[in-house]
Amino acid sequence: MPKVKKKRVGFVIDMTPLVDITFLLLTFFMFTAKFKSQAESEQKFFIKRPMVSADTSKLPDKDLAMIKIAIDSVTKDTNLFFELLNEKDRNAVLEKTGELASQADKHQFSLGRNMGLLSKVINTTCITNNKLTYAIDADKRIKYKWINEVMDTIHRNQVSLAIPSKFKFVTEKKGM
Amino acid sequence: MSGGGGSLKVERRKRGKASKRKKLKRVGFVLDMTPLVDITFLLLTFFMFTTTMATPQVMDMRLPPDMKTKKEAPCDSMLSIFVRKDMKIFWQGSCDTTKYDSVKIDSLQKLVVRRNLEPGKENKVLTVLRISDSVSYEYAIKVLDMINLAEYDICGTIERDKDPEGKPLKQRKQKFALLPLKDWKAKILEDQP
Repeated sequence: MPKVKKKRVGFVIDMTPLVDITFLLLTFFMFTAKFKSQAESEQKFFIKRPMVSADTSKLPDKDLAMIKIAIDSVTKDTNLFFELLNEKDRNAVLEKTGELASQADKHQFSLGRNMGLLSKVINTTCITNNKLTYAIDADKRIKYKWINEVMDTIHRNQVSLAIPSKFKFVTEKKGM
Repeated sequence: MSGGGGSLKVERRKRGKASKRKKLKRVGFVLDMTPLVDITFLLLTFFMFTTTMATPQVMDMRLPPDMKTKKEAPCDSMLSIFVRKDMKIFWQGSCDTTKYDSVKIDSLQKLVVRRNLEPGKENKVLTVLRISDSVSYEYAIKVLDMINLAEYDICGTIERDKDPEGKPLKQRKQKFALLPLKDWKAKILEDQP
């Protein structure tokens, strides 16, 4: 028995499952989204991190002192930056280091190529708070010489204050 | 204004009429969800594209407390790895300090595992890494990554034997050390093929 075909007038699809899934995904992405920190949005460079195989250790989000070695995208100069996540420590370091007075409003201190200043800042930071974790966030294109010098600077300051000498390299997971 | 009022009156009148009639049941009530879906998809795509899933991970490093005081280590349980400025890797693991063996980066992991698991040398081998200043940071991290990968295998093998409570009998204690490549060492390495 052949059915009589009806004309499809006022055709309606039930969008409820679609809306359900879409809202689910939307809420997921909204809650997991992490926006750039103030320090990141004011920096004018982008650090290409070296790739390593997967590891479970993540960068801590508190009590962190980060030394950034970046290549300026315009002048191609290698520059040093120092960032302290803790506001209280940051202000204390700022107060004790006269050279940084002009950068009071910045979230990360630009140190140029001044390794001596970095040493001074690290020393002040170590005295201010000896429970900080140090991390080196360097661009993968720079020479190892920089890492060696920064490592040595951290090491010297930590050893002189009898803090166990350890730090972290900031990397990125391979294949992302 | 007055027009609006007028239309309102008309509606009221209409409604009044309807109320007199039998009330219609709302069966098969359909809401047009298209604008809702539009906005939701827009937001969804925005968050999907702006989100970064991978937070940066870190590689832990530990430096020996004092590099100036010499720590006595039997030379045959040392494993020194050198990275020359042309990115060639050499290693030395015996008391003969004039002999350097070349190794490819892909087989570095195997070498470190093999040296660390030699019978009687478990937990005794001191891995020292010396990298030339002119090597790129990317390559240095690649070498470090290889040694870190080797560490998993070494830990796995050393901590394989477990006591009845499930705790490993032996534990992996030391990690490797990172030392500067001294000038004289760099000169010796220049001559290596």
